[in-house]
Formats: sequence, C-alpha cells, structure tokens
Amino acid sequence: MVAYMTLGYPNVNDFYEFVDNVEDFGVDILEIGIPPKYAKYDGPVIRKTYKIVSNNIRNYYEILHEVKERIKIPVVILTYLEEYVDKLGDFLLKLKESRVDGVLLPDLLIDYVDEYEKYVNLIKNEGIKTVLFTAPLMPDDLIIKASKLTDLFLYYGVRPTTGVVIPISIDSLINRIRTMVQSKLIVGFGLNSIEDIKKAMSVGADGIAVGTSLIEEVDKNGVNGALELIRKLRGVLDEYY
Amino acid sequence: MVNSFDIIPKYWYNIIPDLPKPLPPPRDPQDAEFSRIDLLRKILPKEVLRQEFTIERFVKIPDEVRDRYINIGRPTPLIRARRLEEYLKTPARIYFKYEGATPTGSHKINTAIPQAYFAANEGVSHVTTETGAGQWGTAVALAASMYDLESTIFMVRVSYEHKPMRRTIMELYGAKVHASPTDLTEFGRKILKENSRHPGSLGIAMSEAIEYALENNYRYLVGSVLDVVILHQSIIGMESINQLEAIGEEPDTIIGCVGGGSNFGGFTYPFIGTKKGKKYIAVGSSEVPKFSKGKYEYDFPDSAGLLPLVKMITLGKDFIPPPIYSGGLRYHGVAPTLSLLVKEKVIEWREYTEEEIYNSAKIFMKTQGIIPAPESAHAIKAAIDEALEAKKTDDKKVILVNVSGHGLLDLSNYESMKNRVMKK
Ligand SMILES: Cc1ncc(COP(=O)(O)O)c(C=O)c1O
Repeated sequence: MVAYMTLGYPNVNDFYEFVDNVEDFGVDILEIGIPPKYAKYDGPVIRKTYKIVSNNIRNYYEILHEVKERIKIPVVILTYLEEYVDKLGDFLLKLKESRVDGVLLPDLLIDYVDEYEKYVNLIKNEGIKTVLFTAPLMPDDLIIKASKLTDLFLYYGVRPTTGVVIPISIDSLINRIRTMVQSKLIVGFGLNSIEDIKKAMSVGADGIAVGTSLIEEVDKNGVNGALELIRKLRGVLDEYY
Repeated sequence: MVNSFDIIPKYWYNIIPDLPKPLPPPRDPQDAEFSRIDLLRKILPKEVLRQEFTIERFVKIPDEVRDRYINIGRPTPLIRARRLEEYLKTPARIYFKYEGATPTGSHKINTAIPQAYFAANEGVSHVTTETGAGQWGTAVALAASMYDLESTIFMVRVSYEHKPMRRTIMELYGAKVHASPTDLTEFGRKILKENSRHPGSLGIAMSEAIEYALENNYRYLVGSVLDVVILHQSIIGMESINQLEAIGEEPDTIIGCVGGGSNFGGFTYPFIGTKKGKKYIAVGSSEVPKFSKGKYEYDFPDSAGLLPLVKMITLGKDFIPPPIYSGGLRYHGVAPTLSLLVKEKVIEWREYTEEEIYNSAKIFMKTQGIIPAPESAHAIKAAIDEALEAKKTDDKKVILVNVSGHGLLDLSNYESMKNRVMKK
C-alpha cells in the first residue's frame, strides 16, 4: 500500500506524527507531494493542500531530511517535471542529499514523452529511483516500455485527475494493463471506495495508492482519522495477499 | 431496399488505444476556484462520462440505441457520385456517405440518441443544450422526444430571430426553445442587465444550458469535440466499412469537414484504426484558419470556460470568426484526438474560402442533385480537388467523402453567399 501526503500538511507537527505512524498502520511506501506552481493533473483537494503548504513552509528539503530520519520504508517524491525542467540537476542533488528513495513525475510521459528516456537516465544516474506514471490514455507500447524502466512499481492513474471520482470501468482498465506488464502495479487516482479497491485487486493490481481520501480524513478527523483509514484499507488489501 | 440490420455495426470504435502518442488528459486551469472536471460529474449522464474515459477499442452499442438508429433510417446511403466523376472527367471513383438523409438533416443525431438514452436510463427527466444555427438543437430535440424526455434548448438570439424555421422544427419535436441570453439563468440575467438586446453567442448559450442543468439537476448533452461524441459518430465510419465491403471496394483517400471534429473523427477513425485507406484529409474553413494559424495547446472547449481544459489545435476560445457564411465550422478548436493525429501527420488538412466552397457546392448540386450543408461543401471541395489531381496522373483511386448534412435549412446562407460571391 502506497500512502500519499502533501509535505508538511496540515502543519509540520501533525505531518511528522503521520509519518511516524504510517508504517505501523500498514503502509509500504510513503509518497510525499512537493507543491508545484501548477498541479496540472491533481484534483481540488490536493491542489488546496499545495496552496496551504507553499504559503507556510520555506525549506522543503529540511523536512524531507527529517522524514528519512524518522522512517525506514521507502519515500517517493511526487512533483511535476514542468516545475524543475530548467533546474533538474540542482533539484536531483537536493533530493539525493535528503536521502529520499525515488521520484514520481506524473507529467513525464505525457508532456515530455518525446524525451522521457533522457530524464529517466538523468534521475537514475543520481542514484534516485524513478517511479513511472502511466494512465489509460497512453498507447499500449509506451506502457510496456515504461514498465520495463520503472523502479519499485509502475503507477497507474486510472482517472484523469486525483480525487475526482469520474465513473470508469476499473476492471477493464486494469485487465488491459495487467496482461501487458510484468512489473509491480500500483493503482491510484480517485480510488476511494472499498468496492473499487476490491475490484482493482481482484483483477491483478499489486496494490493501491491513496491520497485525496487521507487528506479529507486529516481535515475532518485529524491525523488519527487518516491513520485509521489506512488501517481499514490495509485490511481490505490483506484479503488479497 | 429495407433498412439492413446487417450493415449497422454492433460496436462503436474508439481510437484512444491506437493513437501513436498518449492523449494529454483534460485538466483544470491553474488557480481554478472550482474543478471543471468535477463539474462534468454533475452535468453529464454517468454512462456518457464513463465512455468519455474508456480505453476499450470497441464499445457495444446498446440494442435499444441500435434500434433507434434503424428507426431514423440508418444505414445512411453510400452513393457513388457517378455524375460528378463524369463532370470532372476523372478516372477516380468518388463515393459519398450521406448523413443528410437522417430526419434532422445531419450526423448530429448519431450522438444525440445515445446521450439521451443514457440520460433516460438514469432516470433523468429533462435534458438541456445550446444551439447556434440549429443542427445540434434539432438533433437533441428529436432524441429527447424518442425517450420521453423534456428538452430545453438555448438558441443564440440572432439565430433564433433569423432562423425561425429551425425553431419551429425543434418545437414540433416538443422542445422548449429560448432565445439566449435568457432570464432563466443567473449568467443570462447578468448579460441582459448589461445589454437587454444582446445578440447572444454560442459561449453564452452553452453556459446557460450548463447552469440550467446544474440548477435543476437535469443533464446536459454535448454536441462535438469530446471523445465520447466521436465514439458515437464512429457509426458513420463503421457503417461505411461494411457498405464498401459489400461492393468489394477499398478506399484510398478519405475526406471530411471539421467543426469540432466529430463527423470527421467518426467517419475516418474506424478506417485509420483498421489501416484501411492511405490518405486522410480534414477540411476547415479559411475564414476560421485553425489548422494553418492555430496553436497546439491547452484551451477551453467552450467560450465561457466552464468545461475542463483540453489540449488541442486552437485559435483561442475567444476567437470571433468574420461575419461571413455561418455554420458549424466556426468553432475555435479541433478535437484533442484529431489534433494529435494532425500533429503526428497521420491526417492532412486543407482550408478553403467561402467562394471556393460555394462553387464546389454548385457543382455537387448540378451533378448529384443534393444541396449540401455549407460545412459539408468543404469536404466536397477537397474531394473534387483530389479527383482532378488523379486525372493528371490517370490514377484510378477511390475517394470517399462524408457529406455530413444537407443544406435545405441553410438556404439563407446560400442566398447571402451567392450575393457575396457574385459581387466579386
Ligand atoms: C452539417 C454539419 N457538418 C459538420 C459540422 C461540424 O461539426 P463537427 O466537426 O463536430 O462534425 C456541423 C456542425 O454544426 C454541421 O451542422
């Protein structure tokens, strides 16, 4: 299970409390969002957290460094290549210094598809793992290629944006990709109903990524609410392992 | 000939999994105060939205929809334009698919039917849409009446006043037609307050239709541009494939006109997807030069900016075409899949002036007896050019062209075109 949280949300203390506990509640990989100026493929809930965090926090890397001190599970950064494309070397160096494990750039295979291999190599050369983001709108051959390049897992965003529950046929979307790729397959984007998660797992997903619903829990019931949701979803996943 | 069940396909074709590159997803603008993607959930029937994001290559046409397709006279005829060939003295064989043979006079009914069906299936009682000249509004009015839905059509005020017959047809089908801007919506009232005699625009009518649907929990039907509309329009191409097979023909060059891209995509994609044909030509208007002057970037499909941004070839949502012949080619953008295929050079494009298409329409009327919609006359012009090109090299190729509608309700356009062309 991959859990997403925006860096330093809702405030630095609560964020650390979340980080300290995620592993115990059943998270395998922690995904941390660094706010970009334009979260092109994110829904309103995550966009709102970016706004709050970027108003409140100066030094993101300091916090990342601290996160790595506190937990052992892999930490993957989520942000947009668009934001760093002109200063990628500098960015990768800072990520390396904060010892995060990997980076996921949802716009890499969409807006930079003509030169994505170049960027994948740049990232790997820094010793940082690249988690590739794919989506149903991608052609079959690109998905297959990406699955061979990706580290840790292949991220499959089944909806056009995070957190907006557009009606889709989860089973047929996942069936298609499962028959094409051998890599570990984590499904996300708008996954929040138990029914959707069960469907995803029963047709061959290796796990799920949740973000928006965790943030909604934090907003409603604080960090404990989010942790409890993780425990509950973990229980659902465990039925399939 | 009795309508043939065998010719009408059982599946729509979806080009998404066969595109050469990923299709950039729709997105919300930076710093948006509300999510347009979220808004889609409230205005579109669920199944329409599901089909918008499906990646299945073939989507089953519900039996009830297929039945209605037959009821409106599908398959539409595929006709060999022999007199046109003789007139041009071309060795090429020219076939045209005639979407003007449907009751509402254009291809628009092909998507209005399934959208209305899906809305009715969800228990919706009422649908809304906007219309400019009236082709799309007419199709929605008929489709709604088929499923006992009420329909409210926001018709751009200038058209409402200048095209009273279109309004009559919609009303005969049972629709309520309002001259937009209206005082039925907040947006309309705001516009009217600024100018009580505002002539209206498609953008305003669209905003009104969406707001009215949201306010009353009705559903909004979409006329072009979105992938789901092209999916439904693929009935045209799938049917043509069957019709050509029945006579043992293989097409070489396939041509259609482009407003939002729905009749073109619906006609050509099944051929592109099954690798039939060698050359595909999308035809726009020189007065709306989106292929030659448009940029490939994220833009709003609607002038009001209520729908999510999509990446397409566009002149900008605020583009105002010069006040020449009216019609469905005035749209500022090109459907995202079509834009991508043009960028990747799978599809070629042409643009023609009013005068060029007027003369081609005249040739088509003279030889085939059909008054084509001015939009369709663009595709006919390209077919004529291709046929004349073939003559030079004695090429016996097969040219296939979509005549997306008849022009019997566009006579005032032809009148004004004639006057302008004569003056030159
Ligand atoms: C007869 C006819 N053809 C073509 C079009 C262009 O639209 P699209 O490109 O979406 O098929 C229209 C639009 O109103 C039309 O009425």
